[in-house]
Amino acid sequence: METLKNLAHNYYYLVAVVLFVIGMHTMLTHSNLIKKVIAMNIMDTSVFLLFVAIGYIRGGQAPIMRDIGDGFYINPLPGALILTGIVVGVSVTAYALSLVVKIYRYYGTVDADEIVEIRSREQ
Amino acid sequence: MTLQHHFPALIIVIFLICAFIMPLLFRWRSTLCAPALLLVHLLALAMAVALLVRLYAGGPFYYHLGNWAPPWGIELKIDFLRVYMVLILVGLGLWIFVYALKDLAHELKREVTGWYYALYALLIGSMSGMALTNDMFNLFVFMEICGIASCAIISIKESRECLEASFKYLILSAMGTGCYLMAIAMIYMVTGQLNFQLIREALPAAAGLYPNNLLVATALIIVAFGTKAALFPLHVWLPDAHASAPSPSSAVLSGLVIKIYAFSLFNILFFVFPASFRQAVPINEIVLWLATLGILFGSIFAMVQEDLKKMLAYSSIAQIGYVFMGIGLNQPTALLGGFYHILNHALMKGMLFMVAGVIIQATGRRRVKDLNGIGHVLPLVMIAFTVGGFSMIGIPGTGGLISKWYLAEGALLANRLFFVIVIVLSSLLNAVYYLPIIINAFLNPYEGREPVKPVSRLMVGAITAGMIAVIFFGVYPKPVIVFLKAALAAVIGM
Amino acid sequence: MNEAAASAVPVFAFLFPILMTPVIMFAGRRSGRLRNALALATTVVTFLAVISLYPRIIGGEVIQFTFFEILPELHISFRVDLLSFCLAALSAFIWVLCTIYSIDYMAREHAGSRYYPVLIFTLGACLGIFMAGDFFTLFIFFELMSLIAYILVIHEETPAALKAGYKYLIMTIIGGLALFFGIIITFELGGTVSLSGGPLVQETSLLAFLAFISFLIGFGMKAGIFPLHVWLPDAHPVAPSPASALLSGIMLKTGAYGLLRVIFHVFSVELVKSGGWDKIMGVIAVITILLGSAVALTQDDIKRRLAYSSIGQMGYILLGMSILNENTLIGDIFHIFTHAMIKSTLFLAAGAIIWKTGKRLISEMPGIGRQMPFTLGCFSLAALAMIGIPPLNGFLSKWTLGLGALEAGMPFYVLILLVSSLLNALYYLPIIVPAFFGGLESDHEHGFDIKEATPRMLVPVAILALGTLIFGLLPSNIPFDLSRLTASYLLRGGPF
Repeated sequence: METLKNLAHNYYYLVAVVLFVIGMHTMLTHSNLIKKVIAMNIMDTSVFLLFVAIGYIRGGQAPIMRDIGDGFYINPLPGALILTGIVVGVSVTAYALSLVVKIYRYYGTVDADEIVEIRSREQ
Repeated sequence: MTLQHHFPALIIVIFLICAFIMPLLFRWRSTLCAPALLLVHLLALAMAVALLVRLYAGGPFYYHLGNWAPPWGIELKIDFLRVYMVLILVGLGLWIFVYALKDLAHELKREVTGWYYALYALLIGSMSGMALTNDMFNLFVFMEICGIASCAIISIKESRECLEASFKYLILSAMGTGCYLMAIAMIYMVTGQLNFQLIREALPAAAGLYPNNLLVATALIIVAFGTKAALFPLHVWLPDAHASAPSPSSAVLSGLVIKIYAFSLFNILFFVFPASFRQAVPINEIVLWLATLGILFGSIFAMVQEDLKKMLAYSSIAQIGYVFMGIGLNQPTALLGGFYHILNHALMKGMLFMVAGVIIQATGRRRVKDLNGIGHVLPLVMIAFTVGGFSMIGIPGTGGLISKWYLAEGALLANRLFFVIVIVLSSLLNAVYYLPIIINAFLNPYEGREPVKPVSRLMVGAITAGMIAVIFFGVYPKPVIVFLKAALAAVIGM
Repeated sequence: MNEAAASAVPVFAFLFPILMTPVIMFAGRRSGRLRNALALATTVVTFLAVISLYPRIIGGEVIQFTFFEILPELHISFRVDLLSFCLAALSAFIWVLCTIYSIDYMAREHAGSRYYPVLIFTLGACLGIFMAGDFFTLFIFFELMSLIAYILVIHEETPAALKAGYKYLIMTIIGGLALFFGIIITFELGGTVSLSGGPLVQETSLLAFLAFISFLIGFGMKAGIFPLHVWLPDAHPVAPSPASALLSGIMLKTGAYGLLRVIFHVFSVELVKSGGWDKIMGVIAVITILLGSAVALTQDDIKRRLAYSSIGQMGYILLGMSILNENTLIGDIFHIFTHAMIKSTLFLAAGAIIWKTGKRLISEMPGIGRQMPFTLGCFSLAALAMIGIPPLNGFLSKWTLGLGALEAGMPFYVLILLVSSLLNALYYLPIIVPAFFGGLESDHEHGFDIKEATPRMLVPVAILALGTLIFGLLPSNIPFDLSRLTASYLLRGGPF
């Protein structure tokens, strides 16, 4: 019961981990290169989600300097970090997609298994 | 505030700036690119030496980027070990770059040379950043830069193998960094800190409250750095990536990039996790056993390879195992061996990949069994290969023996006789695949109708310099050993 | 005399050949004669340098000096005592003779410019082993010598030679790694690997035992003891004959030398005995003696037979080490002298036969003694010495060994010595007797032409053969006296 309560309380944690595992699993097992790239994004996003969620305080204010009385500011640092993370993620995605395009030009397919097949046929 | 004060940041920044302007400079005056990058390397080297001088004068110090003190700002830490790494990175980066100057003309289209220089600068700069940073998230950013740059430095040679290997590397490397980011999130959740030192202070309390969170974070960190540094079961990307890349890229990837991840893992294990935490969770044991498996299986896989560069790549998996073994044994002498092996292996593997590059360029051969008699046509280069091979085996007079000596001594001091046997056994395995190549190269006649293409003197010169360095660090290792001993004593109190 | 001056001669002795190597290599490009002359001069100068130490060493001086510190607590250091001097002088002497012999022998072979530098370098490395002041230095020179000797083994570059060479190389690497293992354990147990202190390991333990076994493997590999001898019968015969003589005569002894150092400097006689390790060596020695001799019987290739004989003879040396009293130790060291001389004679004589007639198989050799009486005469003398006929020096070493075994109350070992002498006779006499008295019918084809090898090949053979005789006959037998001194020096720290 205690565990369930904990889980219910930390649902965002659970969601992030589930997303993370989905992403990682797809990335490693799917043979479609585009799906791998998408999975990579899912994985990154799950971490961003977790990061942003832990910085948030229910009822907190945006961290902008003004008088908020007895209220709280939410932690601005995770947000800032995640902005950086998103930029990094975008550049990796762009680079990965450009690689997929090039691979498609050479093999006419974006399926890793088919590529292996083509290469083994050539040898 | 003098300029000297900013050296730690400048080492990184000049490479990044250089990477930015390099493609532009290439458009404008392409001949200026190489000297500019050389100059940047030399400047960085000079700054690293200046840091060293300052370290000797006043001990370890910190640098706050933008003058923002830790909980908010990014901090760089400068101690002996980190400067040792920076010196290796920049110094050997310079050495490999000199080789690359001539080699690239044969492997790349001329238009992309400027981009290659940019990636090279990005790679060295980000690695220096990884070596110096004292901040978890900053480390992540540098890791991503380094990851993209090292994939790009492979895929820039737009052959099919390169693209494929590069994509495989990218995916696994993204998985690695993803895991690391998750680990940061979990640690940040319970400690609220990103700075190494501050996390270390907050961890004991947090470990009591949220032990599972930290366990998962630890596992994720091992997976992350293990993937990046090709720790045994996570090495699958390495052989293709290192074998298909242009030779200077292979040299820098095998020689430097995997080492810096191992070094970062060391930093996190020893400077983020308190000693008590390391004793509670068998992190070191896990690393140690994986390293052992890597040492043995890397060599066994290397034996059956037909492609020379692939063989060297598998050999790297075995050799990085030594570095991890030093970390895993958790014993100052073994660590000393591991750190000395970082230098050694960077030198010898860099040199061996250069040799492979010269052989491919001169004769077009890259299969191990086609190398018969190659010693007759490329004598100096094959002598360098011999020295490199001997160093891998650990023949006296080469650096390999010295690192093995310290690793073995450390294993004995830690009462782990088994790992001494592993070291001895792996040397034998190395002999089994390096020696036949050397013997066939010198004793069999060279068969080939097509003439051997001339090789640039600069490339041969770089290889010769490497050979001399391998022998030098085998015959006169004392200064480095004394330095490392003092450094390790200072940082982990041995 | 200050330390620097005192150490100048030994440094010169081992460094000179190494430094001359490149000179000889470049001289070889200009003229073969110059190269040969230089090589010979180098060995002679080295020999004289080593011999010049005689008065100091015999006076009980131990010359020690440190070259430089390679690592903290690990030095490249040198130390010349009686044992070092014995082996160094012996090596330098035989090297001179083999170099003289090589001049004509190698004239027909290819790649002389590779052979001579390697030959000279090996001399330097060998002397380095004998003069090493700690196990680390010894290890370095040991590996250097072993690896460079590979080039001598494969000199003829035939497929058989390459195959044997590969076997040799792999075994050498295994041996080197075993040594590394032993040395690092010793370093861990004793804190240093220097030879100049007392025993490094004070008590038996699992680690000490492992160290001992590793040393036994490492040095035993080189010495060709059972079951690590497998490379030896392949590698020694395929090398050019002067190189075989050196491989069998001197380089095997580096293994024996190493083991002696291990017994006396890493451990101590008491420790070896209390651990029961002498029994291990004894068993291995007996097997090695019998196996070497027995297999030698079945070999038809003369050089292979000699190589197996070497295995048997190394067994004697190991046997002496397993008993470890004064007489066996004297016998041991004297047998190192004896065997070096005899085996060099035999290999050089066999080389002369092969060089002159192209015959390698013993079954083809009947009557050859009448064609080459001088060569075969020397061969016979050496073979008789090996069998142990008095008054040749082989008898003396076996006698001393046997005496020691009796003193130690181990008559079984005397029996082994007798049996192996018998076996020696069984495989040497069938070479000698038919060579002089067999194959009479074929004389109609050949007549009684005397076809000896050139004087430059015969003189070294003759000197060595005479050595086996003289050192058995003369009342003041220098090697025997040296052995006695060395044995008492090792056991008691010197009679001085």
